[in-house]
Amino acid sequence: MPSPAWSSAGRGGGRNDGAARAQRRLVKRARIVGLQLVSILVALVAWEVAARGGWVDPLFVPAPSAVVAAFGRIGAAALRALGDTLVKAGIAYGIAVVLGVGAGLALGSARRLRDVLNPFVIGVYGIPKILVLPWIVLLLGFGAAPAIVYGTIQAFFPILLIVMGSVRDVDATLLTVARSYGARPWQLYWKVILPAIVPAVLAGMRLGIVFCLLGVLIVEMFAGVRGMGYVMGSLANGFRAAELFAVTGLVSAASIAIVLTLDVLNDRLAHWRG
Amino acid sequence: MRVLAARVVIVVALLVVWELAARAWNPLLAVPPSVVPPALIDLLMLRSYPDLPRHLLVTVREIAVAYVLAVAAGLGCGFALGLYRTLGRVYAPILAALYAVPAVVWYPSLMLFFGLDSASKIAFGFLLGFFPITLAVLAGIRQVSGGLLTVARAFGAGPVTTFRLVMVPSMLFTLVGGLRAGLALTVIGVIVGEVLGSKAGVGALINHAYGLLRTTDYVALVLVTLALVVTSDALASVVERRARRWAE
Repeated sequence: MPSPAWSSAGRGGGRNDGAARAQRRLVKRARIVGLQLVSILVALVAWEVAARGGWVDPLFVPAPSAVVAAFGRIGAAALRALGDTLVKAGIAYGIAVVLGVGAGLALGSARRLRDVLNPFVIGVYGIPKILVLPWIVLLLGFGAAPAIVYGTIQAFFPILLIVMGSVRDVDATLLTVARSYGARPWQLYWKVILPAIVPAVLAGMRLGIVFCLLGVLIVEMFAGVRGMGYVMGSLANGFRAAELFAVTGLVSAASIAIVLTLDVLNDRLAHWRG
Repeated sequence: MRVLAARVVIVVALLVVWELAARAWNPLLAVPPSVVPPALIDLLMLRSYPDLPRHLLVTVREIAVAYVLAVAAGLGCGFALGLYRTLGRVYAPILAALYAVPAVVWYPSLMLFFGLDSASKIAFGFLLGFFPITLAVLAGIRQVSGGLLTVARAFGAGPVTTFRLVMVPSMLFTLVGGLRAGLALTVIGVIVGEVLGSKAGVGALINHAYGLLRTTDYVALVLVTLALVVTSDALASVVERRARRWAE
C-alpha cells in the first residue's frame, strides 16, 4: 500500500516514522531535563551569591557551600538518625498497610458494616491527628512507641479509604459471574476482588508512605529523644542553620527516592498486568 | 433507621467502655468522658484559661493570612505552569517531587527563619495550603476542552473573554475542590506549627495543658479546636456548593 503523501513528506527519504517520533520525543525530554538542571543550578548560584554578598543573613540562610560543608561535619550522625527514623516509619508503614487493606476489604465488601461505620471513618479521617499527639505521648512515653503508633494512624486512614472505595467499586458483573460458576467466598476474594484492587492498594501505599514519614517526624520533633525529627528540632533550636539545611536536604532526598522507587515498582507492575 | 440505631449504640458503648476502663486504670491519663463536659464548661466560661479568646483570635488570624497567601500564590503558580506549556513541563515535575516530601520537614527551617511567633505558623500553613491549590489549578486547566477554546477563538473571543467564559466555568469544579482542600491543610499546618512550638494560639494552650498534665483541660481545648476546624470546613463547603451551582 502506498503511504499517503503527507506522512513522510519532508522528513528525509526512508527514515522510519516511528523512530523519528521517538527521537523527537527524546530530544524534547532532554531539553526539559536540561532546563530543569539549569534552573536548579541558577537558583543555587544566586543563593550562594546572595549569601556571600551579605544580602541575606548567613545566620539564617547559609550559602549552599556552607550547607555542603556542614553535611560533611554531621553526615555520619545524620545518616544514623535517618536510619532510626526510617526503621520506625517502616514498622508503622507495615502495620498501617496490613490494617488499612484488611479494614478496607472488610468495609468495602460488607455493605451493612460500611453504612454504619462510614461517618465514623470520615469523621476520624478529617480530624487533625496532631490534636491527639500529646495524648499519645502521655500514654506511651518518649520512646519509639508513640512515633510508630502516630505514624500508623497517619497512614492507616488514606489507605483504608482508597481500598474501601475500590472494593466497593469492583465490577458487580464479575462477582455475579464468579458466584454463578460456584466460586466460594474465599475464591471471590482471592481470584476476583484482590486482583481488581491491586492498583488501589498501590496508590494507597504510595500515599501512605509520605503520611507515615510525616507522622514519625512530627512525633520525633514533638517529643523525640532520637531520630531525624529530633535532630532537626534541636538544630533549629541551636540556630545551626547550615547543619539544619543539610539534614533537611537529606530527609527530602530520602523521601523523594522512596516515593520514586514505589512509582517505578508501580509502573513495572502495571506493565506486567498489561 | 436501623443504621442510625447501630451508630448510636456504637458511640454509647465506646463511651461506656472508655469510662469504665479509664476509671479502673488511670483517670488522670485516660480521661474518662464524664469529666470532659465540666472541663469544657469551665473552659468556655473562661475559668480555666481566661485568655482563650485572645489565643483563638491569634490562631484564626494566622489561618486567614496563611490562606490568603496560599490562594494567591497557588492560583498564580498554577495558572503560570498550566498556561505556559514549557514552564509547566519544566517546573511541574519539580513541584510534584517536592510534594512527595513530608511537609513537616520544612518546619524547623521555617521556625529558625521566622522565629517562634505567628510568622512561622503562617509560613507553614501557607506551604501546606499552596500545594493542593496549585495542583488543582493544573488539573483544572487540563480539563478545559481544546474544542471549546478553538470555538471561542474562532468566534473572535480575546484571551480575557476566553478565560472568563470558557476556562473558569469548565475548571471551577476542580478548582473549588482544591481551594477547600487547601483551607483544610492550611488549618492543619497552623495548628501543627503551634503545637510544635509557639507562644500564642490554641496550639500553645494545648501544649501548656499537656505539659502540666491538666488532661481534662487538654481534652476540652482539643474539642474547642475541633469546633474551629469543623467550622472552617463547613464555611468552605458552603462556598464550594455555591460555586458549583453557579458553574452548572
